[in-house]
Amino acid sequence: MKVTDVRPEESGTGISAVPSDATALAARDPLFQVDRLSLAYPGLRGQPPVSILHDVSFAVDRGQSLTLVGPSGSGKSTLLRCLNRLVEPTQGSIRFKGRELKSLNPLELRRRAGLVLQTPVLFEGTVRDNLRMQPAAARADVSEPRLQHALVEVGLDAEFLDRDGTTLSGGEKQRVTIARALLGDPEALLLDEPTAALDPPNATLVVEAIAALRQSRGLTIVAVTHQPDLIRHLGGCLLYLVKGQVQAYECIDGRAHTITDVRLQAFLAGESPQGGR
Amino acid sequence: MTGVAGVVDLSVWQLGLAVLLVGVLIVISAWQALGLERDLLVGTVRTIVQLYLVGFILASVFAAAQWYWVVLVLVAMMGVATQAAVSRLKKPIPGRYEIAMVAIAVSTTLTLAWVIGVVVRVHPWYEPQYVIPIAGMILGNAMTSAALAGDRLQADLRTRKEEIEAMLALGFSGGDAVRPMVRSAVRAAMIPTVSGMMTVGLVQLPGMMTGQILAGASPLLAIKYQIVVVFMLAVATSVASLLFVRLAISRYMTPAHQLRSYLL
Repeated sequence: MKVTDVRPEESGTGISAVPSDATALAARDPLFQVDRLSLAYPGLRGQPPVSILHDVSFAVDRGQSLTLVGPSGSGKSTLLRCLNRLVEPTQGSIRFKGRELKSLNPLELRRRAGLVLQTPVLFEGTVRDNLRMQPAAARADVSEPRLQHALVEVGLDAEFLDRDGTTLSGGEKQRVTIARALLGDPEALLLDEPTAALDPPNATLVVEAIAALRQSRGLTIVAVTHQPDLIRHLGGCLLYLVKGQVQAYECIDGRAHTITDVRLQAFLAGESPQGGR
Repeated sequence: MTGVAGVVDLSVWQLGLAVLLVGVLIVISAWQALGLERDLLVGTVRTIVQLYLVGFILASVFAAAQWYWVVLVLVAMMGVATQAAVSRLKKPIPGRYEIAMVAIAVSTTLTLAWVIGVVVRVHPWYEPQYVIPIAGMILGNAMTSAALAGDRLQADLRTRKEEIEAMLALGFSGGDAVRPMVRSAVRAAMIPTVSGMMTVGLVQLPGMMTGQILAGASPLLAIKYQIVVVFMLAVATSVASLLFVRLAISRYMTPAHQLRSYLL
C-alpha cells in the first residue's frame, strides 16, 4: 500500500491517505487537509539540504483525531508544527477549514489550533499569570470565572489560580498549559508527546483531561504520542511516518483494534528496531 | 611619538630595554611550564611590527592632511573591526558579516559625527589627529559589544527555544516572543560599559587620559576629554549591540513569526 498515491482530487473523498477499503471513514468536513507536503531545511555551510518530510498527504475531519506515530527523527513533530505554521513547508499545501494556511494570519491560526508541548512551559508567576498570558490583540476573555472554568476543564481546582507555577507537578503544569491553550478558544489541539515527560499516574490524568475535552468541546486532535493509553483514548486514525514518509495510515474502528499493517502493528507493539521513541 | 614639547623621546635602545621585560616573561613561562613562550615571542614581534606600521601610515596621513586619506583609513579600520567582531562569535550567525558591518559602521559614524562635529567642533572636520584616535576608540568598543551581544543572543535563543515556541504557539508575535532574549543580549553587551562608568578614574586612569597627560596636557583638560569619551563609548556600544541584535534576530525569525530553529 502506497497511501500517498491517493490524492484528494483524485479520490474525491477529501481524505487522501486512506486506502480504498477505508473510504467509509472518508472526511466530509476536513479541518486540516494536507496535500503532498514536503519539507527540507537548507544545508548549512555548503552541506546538502536535509529532507525532513516527503510527499505527505492526509486529512483530519472536524471533531476527529489523528495520531502521528513513528521512530524518533521521522518528522512527526515537524509535521505537527506545519499545521499551525510554526514551521514552513517547502512544497505542498495545507488547508485549514478549506482555506490555504498561507492566506491566514499565522497568529490567529495558532489560537485556532493550540499546540501542547512535550515539556510544559510555564512563565514566571502564578497559574493565574500564566493563564492570562494571552496576546493583547487576541482580546481573550481572561475574567476570573473564565480562568476557573478553564482549570476545571482540565481537572484542576480553581484554587490552583494562586499557586506559583514552580510548585506544580509535571502533570499539573501540563494541564495548566492545556488550560492556557483553551483560553484561545481553539477548534483543534495539536499535542506533541504531551505525556512523554510524565510519570504514569500523571500521564493518566493528562490523558483523561484530553479525552474529556475532546468530548465536551468537540475538539479536533492531532497528536504525536507513543502512549498506548492516549492512542486508545483518542481512537481515530493513525499515520505511521518513517524518515519523513508515510508508511501506513489506518483507523481504529470503535474499540476493537483493527490495525492490519504489519509494520504499524509491530511499531505499536514496541517491536520496532528503532525503538519506541 | 617625536616632536611634542615635554615628551621624552625613546631611542631604539630604550625600546630594547622594554623588550627585556618580555624576555623576563618568557623565562618565567619556561620555568613555570606555562607553554606560552612561543606565543609571547610571536606577540612581541607582532606588537613591534604592527605598531611601527601603523605609526608610519598615521604619520603620512597626518602629514598629508587630506580628507580622502582619513576616510580611507576609517574604512579600513571598520573592515578590520567587522572581521574581528565576527571572529569573536562563538557560533556563526547567518549573514554575520553584513550584520556586523552595518552595526559597527552606523554606530561609529553617528557617534564620531556627534563628537567631532558637535561636541569638540574640530576644524577641518577630518583633522586626522582627532578623527583617527577617536574613531579607533569607538570602533574597538563597538566591535566588542556587537560580538558580546551576538553571542549572548544566540546562546539565549538556543537555551530558551521552548519558551519562544510556547509564546508563538499562544499567538504572540515573533517580536513579543524574543523580547526577553533581545533585552538580555543588549544588556549583556552594555554592562561592561556601564560598570566601567562607575569606577572610571578611581581604579586606573583611562588610556586616553593617560596619553594626554603623558603628552603634557593638564589633567583638567584630560578629564574633560575623558568625560566626552566615556559618554561617547556608552552610546556607541549600545547602538552597536542594539543594531546587531535587531538585525540578527531578523535572520532567526521569519515574517510569518516562525523561529528558524535549524540555524541555532
